[in-house]
This record gives sequence, structure tokens and C-alpha cells, in this order.
Amino acid sequence: MSERVSWVPEGVDVGRPSAARLYDYLLGGGHNFAADRALAEKFLQAQPNARTIARLNRAFLRRAVLLMIDEGIRQFLDLGSGIPTVGNVHEIARKADPEAHVVYVDFEEVAVAHSQLILEGDPRATIIQEDMTRPDAVLRSARHSGLIDFSQPVGVLTAGVFHFVPPQADPNSIVAAYRDAVPTGSYLAVSQFTQDLQPEEMAGIVEVMKKSQNPMYPRTKSEIEALFSGFELLEPGIVPTPLWRPEGTNTDDPDRAGIYAAVGRKL
Amino acid sequence: MELPELAARWMHALTPTAYIPLSHAEIEQALLDSLRELPESPESVAYRLVSLHATGPDSLRATIEVLSPTFELPVLARMASAYAQAMRMDAFDQQEEIKVAIVRAKQRVERTLMVSQARFQEVFDSAALGIAITDFTGRCVQANDALAEIVGLESGADVNDRDLREFYHPEDVAALGASYRKVQEGHIDRFRDQRKLVRVDGEPVWVYLAVSVLRDADGRPTHHVTMVEDISELHLLQRNLDHQLLHDSLTGLSNRQHFISQVERQLDGRPITLYHLGLDAFSVVNIGLGQETGDKLLKIVATRLSRFAAEKNAVLARVGGDEFAIMVNADTVTSTVEEIQEVLGEPTFVDDHGIALSASIGVVDRPPAFVTASELMRCANSALRQAKARGKRQWALHDPHDDARRRGKYALAASMPGAWEHGEIEIVYAPVHDLETSEVLGAVARLHWDDLSHNDTMALADSTGLSLPIGRWLLREACAQAARWVEEFGDRAPTLHIALGALQSRDEDLVADVKRALDETGLPPERLRLALDISSVLAGDDNAVVLHDSGIVTALDGFHGGHDELAVLTEVPVRSVITRAPAPDPDSPLHQAMRALIATVHSFGVRFGVDEVHTLTDAEHWRQAGADGVIGLLPALTAEEVTELLATAASPPPAAS
Ligand SMILES: C[S@@+](CC[C@H](N)C(=O)[O-])C[C@H]1O[C@@H](n2cnc3c(N)ncnc32)[C@H](O)[C@@H]1O
Repeated sequence: MSERVSWVPEGVDVGRPSAARLYDYLLGGGHNFAADRALAEKFLQAQPNARTIARLNRAFLRRAVLLMIDEGIRQFLDLGSGIPTVGNVHEIARKADPEAHVVYVDFEEVAVAHSQLILEGDPRATIIQEDMTRPDAVLRSARHSGLIDFSQPVGVLTAGVFHFVPPQADPNSIVAAYRDAVPTGSYLAVSQFTQDLQPEEMAGIVEVMKKSQNPMYPRTKSEIEALFSGFELLEPGIVPTPLWRPEGTNTDDPDRAGIYAAVGRKL
Repeated sequence: MELPELAARWMHALTPTAYIPLSHAEIEQALLDSLRELPESPESVAYRLVSLHATGPDSLRATIEVLSPTFELPVLARMASAYAQAMRMDAFDQQEEIKVAIVRAKQRVERTLMVSQARFQEVFDSAALGIAITDFTGRCVQANDALAEIVGLESGADVNDRDLREFYHPEDVAALGASYRKVQEGHIDRFRDQRKLVRVDGEPVWVYLAVSVLRDADGRPTHHVTMVEDISELHLLQRNLDHQLLHDSLTGLSNRQHFISQVERQLDGRPITLYHLGLDAFSVVNIGLGQETGDKLLKIVATRLSRFAAEKNAVLARVGGDEFAIMVNADTVTSTVEEIQEVLGEPTFVDDHGIALSASIGVVDRPPAFVTASELMRCANSALRQAKARGKRQWALHDPHDDARRRGKYALAASMPGAWEHGEIEIVYAPVHDLETSEVLGAVARLHWDDLSHNDTMALADSTGLSLPIGRWLLREACAQAARWVEEFGDRAPTLHIALGALQSRDEDLVADVKRALDETGLPPERLRLALDISSVLAGDDNAVVLHDSGIVTALDGFHGGHDELAVLTEVPVRSVITRAPAPDPDSPLHQAMRALIATVHSFGVRFGVDEVHTLTDAEHWRQAGADGVIGLLPALTAEEVTELLATAASPPPAAS
């Protein structure tokens, strides 16, 4: 077939905004396009605190990684890793231990291609293009990468990604599959949007994202707690991002943080 | 203010404005260094801020606010403009990066697409199935060579841009269109159908269609995929079987059964006249000059009558050895009779023998609309007997009142309920023979009323709405009788076979009726074989499956060997199929086809039975073709006669060859 037939879908469409680039924009990054910024503006109308929420989420990710490093974790599986931006997991981890290994997972074409650019020639980090709601496929590729030794504790990171997983995909069983693949002493970090803090703004976000390729599903504290079945939750439990082990005294308003954060240790 | 204190305050002002992936101590240190550098080199401080990612929309304002009491305005102004410049450069870099990422992503997508397309293409090209991808207007976006071949074009490319509907049979366009829409709208995932396509040369071709949709990345349907299997060979075989079923193999004319169905179709239409011809002294020809000559003569008669029927727009059939029937739109009987005699009377030479031909003719003129076709045939037959009784070249008109008087009733149909009530409808038992062992496998329970056959009685019952109650009665009575035989004769009792009519076969109470009949009569379920009309199964009715699941052995009656019927055999657990067809003469090319068909049926683990096999020769022909059992070799007996037979003999089975 010399020419592409018309029914084959275009793989990459920069005219369509993506969650990865929206997040990059909110974080002040430049890896985004007009369509992403237009969506971000709507997002900001629904939740004026969105930039801070993004920053606080990213900061939580950093603190969670550092905690895991302190606990001796040297290999990370970062699910829904997004566009490489300031403070990527491998950069944070390596500042503590240059030997740390990281496997990134995202299903968005551009985020993946961008990650590949950044990680080119890096022997200790890689990116897998896969849907994190398909743990079997993800784990197979992760094993195949040779970067993660599943007999040793793993830091599983799911920052800002579960709110893209619909209830019918059964988030609990997804987490369970990853949990069962890693040994006791492994860690799980979760941050995810909730309607518990600002129900109105949250409803606005859901509405804005409904028609995008990444609709969003906020979860209550108890729904998030259910994700940690088989894990022991570390102090302070499930809290708004700025309250999760803040560095020094927290100055951000937890009631407007939008996202709950928690870290657990596999029993 | 001391610089460290200023650095701490700066850090606190700056961190809420942007995410800086460092600890507070690290940030503070970096800012302290910047403060020391600032008076000399505001530009490098600006670059450091940007590389720290202190680049939020409010980062610069926060910085100026913290620093302005301590630093001179010109220094801060230089820093601000350098910061803006660095931001721009950073943004360019990031845009550049993301563009490279996009290009890569596209290339990768295209590469995987190319691989999967290459794979797809291979399947597409090498498939034996015709495949067409059409948009929702019916326009063909892509088709393979196999499809082109089916519709009579050179290559798949020739089909592109054509409307696939061009190839539908005009009669099918509406129905197929509706089915395609259902798939498109998601009411059904796919549909399958057996249809006739019209090739570009106008020739029809029978195909099996399977249609589904293609969806885009968002799951929206965008195209139809039509898979087309050319089943014309199979279809030819089926048509041949149908033809055999409906036609006389010697003359090629319609047979009696076909004729009756044609009469039926005419009955509620315009008035008709029916002529039943019996050749005079044909047995003399047959015996005196040999059967071969007799056959040649019959062919000649068939040809002449065909010509006559064509002129008259009449329907013609060979309804018996030397008997023919003609149905015309009601006309002047006397002149038509004359014309028929003239046609037959033309000088005839067969193998140098000059033969004088004439016929006796029974006529039924303008019968009332509610009379059944078989009743008509019976009337015509009795008129023919009358005519024959008067000598050669005679004709007789059937007098309906005469006949009605004879029966004491005017219309047969109207009398049926009464007849049933009065016990005039009887159940008789016809033996089923195993072709391999010649043993009697069981007895088929059949209806018998006056001189009507089971099928005629059932057809009549259908027309009067009696077929369900009569069918249930037959089921119950026959089970009771069979149970009595089992009680009396144990293992020697015949297995009971019952062929259900079309209505009863798909009756939703059937399974309950059968269970009740077995319960109440005590007949063990394994002693019962039920043949369901195959049309019910084809229509998707699940009685056959439920009966099987309840441990009752089932057969499908009315099997023609159609593609759809074979497909059903793979899905429905039946023990056998039953067909009615002339025996396949081993010398005829159809013998091979029939063998192949029977072998196919066997390959599904299904036995092949034949009804209405009346001679040992026919039975032998069927045996050679691979059939397993036949019905009709011996005449049906009443229950009493069967009981007597069972009682008097450890009855030696009649030899089948
Ligand atoms: C908001 S970003 C989070 C990035 C990073 N984890 C963080 O917290 O800073 C969410 C990312 O998850 C990705 N994502 C969403 N659903 C996903 C899925 N089912 N499988 C893989 N990636 C997914 C999106 O493409 C996006 O890049």
C-alpha cells in the first residue's frame, strides 16, 4: 500500500490538547501548544488555583521519591510520568544516589517521544509507552527493560494519574496487580484529585476535561484509601498535598490544594 | 538587611510562584549566591533564576518586590530585561524540544503503522475471502483481488470508488441497506447473510456476506468491512438438490410436489382450470417396445406439452408414471382438451416405431377458492379415472357437488375438526430402516385420514389452524402407544420417531409438551426421536437445543443441504438430518455431489436419513451415496398391525438389498 488509506487514524494530533502538555503549561513549562494552553485557560477558570495545585503535586512527587530513597529504594516505576519537566524522578533520585534506576511509563505519544529525547543514551532510565491500566503489559515491558529487579523493593509512583482512570477500569485491581508484582517493603505513592476539598471547583474541572482525550474522575478519601489495600499507610496518611511531610512549615493553603497525596509501604 | 536573611525571605516569596525541584536549603544557597553576584552581574543572576526554573508568571514580580528596597533600580532593571530574554530563549529551547519530540512520535507512529499495515495488507491480499472496505455512503475505499474476482473485475483497484451496492441484487438493496445501517448504528456488531450478488457481466453469484464496522481511535464507526465468500459451488449443489426435489429427472418437468405448491399459490388468485392427463395404453408401449422406448416417448410428450404450456402460459408437471397435469387460467374446457389431443396426436416415431398417442383427461374447472391443492389433485384424479373408464381419448369434468355428496361434506378442510373429533384421523406407523444392517430402527408415527397422506393431512391441518392441537395429540398418543409396546415387548419394541410440523417445531410450549407426554405415558426419553422442521432452527428457534439438553435425541427434517443448514449443524446438537429427494443414481454426476454432501454431514457427527424411499433400488442407491437410514420401504401399519407383527414374530427384518 503506497499511500496511507484514509481510515487509518492519525497517531499524533497536536491540534488536540493532552493532559501531559496541559500539566506542563500549568507548571510554567514551554512544552505545549496553543490547543493545550486554550484548555489550560478553561481549567484555570474552573480552578483558579490550578498552577499552585500543579506545583504542589510536583513537589509532593519529589518528597515522596526522597522519602523512598531514604528508605533504601533504588529503583522506581513511574506510572503516568508525563512530559519531562523540572524535577524529573531520575534527576531527583540520582542526586541522592547516581545508581538509582527509573522506568517511566506514559501512554501519550509526545510525552513518550520527549522522554526518549531526554533519556537517550541513559543506561539507568528508560520510558515505556504503555497504558498503566494494563499492568500485565507494563510489567512485562518493565521486566524486559532489565532496569528493575522485581526481587528487590520498588518505588511505584502514581502521581497525578489515577484521576485519569475511570471507575470501570477498576483502579483497585490495577494497583493490586502492581502490588503483587513487587516484594514486601516496596512503596506506593498516589496523588489524585478529590472532590472532598473544593467540590464546586472540582465539578468545574471535570466538566472542562469531559470532552478532552483525558476526562477526569476525582475520588474521595475513602476511595483513595481502598487503593492502598495490602499497604501500610505512612504518616500522615491521606492528606492534601502540601500537608504531606512538608519541608519546614507549610505556607500553602491545604483546602485549595485540590489533590490528596499518600504513600504506603507494602506489607 | 543581612544577605542570608534576604535570601531566606526571597526563597519564601519565590517558591509559591514556581516549582523549584530543590530543597529549601539548596534554594536558599543558590539565592544567596545570586545576591552576592547581583550588583556586578545582574544578567547571570537572571539566567540562574531561569535555570532554577523560577519562571512562574509571578516569579519576577515577587523577586523585584523582595529586592527593590535593597538594590538600585538600574541593577534590577538590567536583571529584569535579562530575565525576560532568558525566558524567551528557554521557551524557544523547549518549543524546539517538543517539536523534535513530535516529529519523532509521528515517525514512530508511522513506522508501527507501516508494519501493521504491511501485515494487514498481506492478510488482505492473500485472503481467499473477498474483502471490501466502504465508507458509509457505500463507496468502496479499498477492496482486494479476491473480491474483484467474485464480482468479475480484474483487480481490487477496479472496485475502488465504486458503490458496493452496484453489485447487490436489486431486490436485496433495501434489506441489505437496513442491515448495514444497524451495524453502523451499533444495534448489532455484525451481520451475516446469504445473498445473490450480480457480477459486472450480469451473472448472479451466490455469496455469504459478513459485515462489521471499522472504528477510529475514538471508537467512532467510520467504515464498513464486508467479507464476501463465494458459495456458488455449494449453492449449485443445493440448487440441484432443490431442483431434484421439485423436478422429475427423466423429463425435467416439475414433479407432483412442485406442481401442488404452484397450484396452491394460484388458488386464491384468478380462477383456474386443472387438466389431469393419463396417456392411453402407455403400458402397452412400455411392455411391448421396452422401457427405454417408453422413456423416450415420455420425453417427447414432455417436450410437446412444454411447448403447449409455454404458449398457454400454463403450468405443467409430470405427476405420475404416464400422467401429466396442466394448470391454466380458467378457459373453455372443450377447446383446450381438443388442443391437447392435437398436440399429442402429431405423428410420433420412436426408434422407427410409429406410435399413435392420445390421452384421457380429467378436468377440474374453477374450483372454489378454499379447496386445498391436494384436494384438487384428488378431484382431478377421480375425474381422470372416470374418463379412462369411458375408453381412450375421453375426458371427464369433475363435479364438485358429486364429490361433496360422496364425502357427505363440501369442503375437506371444513370437515377436518369433525373428522378428528370422530376419530377418523388415525395414527399409523412406518418403519425406519438402517441401510447398513437392513434392520428396523424404529417406527415413524404418521397421520392418516381417508386417502390423504401424512403430509397432506398436516398441510390441511395447518390451513385450518388445527396443526398444533393435532400435533400435540399425535405426540401424546404415539408416546402412549410406544410405551405400551415397551411394556409388552421390552427391547424389541420399536423406537418411536415423530416428525413435527413447522408450526409445532417452533411452538414455545413444545418442550413442555414433550416432557408432559413422556411423564404421563412413562415412555423412556431414549425411546423417542423427534424430528423438528429445519426451518424452525434456521429461524433461530432453540427448541432443538433445549430438547437435546433435556436428553431427547433430535433430528432436523426438510434438509436440503443449504449453506445455512450446514452452518446450523455445527451449532445445534442433532443426531440426524432427514431429506426427501429422488435417489441419486450412481451413474449421474449428482451422485458424487450427494456423496460429498453426506460426507460433510457425517463430518459434523450427524447421520443422514431419507424419507419417502419406496423401492429397494432407491434404497440401494442411497446406501451407496452414504445415507444411513430410510423411511418408506414398507407401508405404514396401524398400531394394532404393529402389535400383531411384534407378537407373532421375532420378526425377521425385510432385506434392503
Ligand atoms: C498530570 S500528568 C502527571 C505527571 C507526573 N506523574 C507528575 O505527577 O508530575 C499525568 C500523565 O499521566 C498520563 N496518563 C494518563 N492516563 C494514563 C494511562 N492510562 N496510562 C499511562 N499514562 C497515563 C498522561 O499522559 C500524563 O502524561
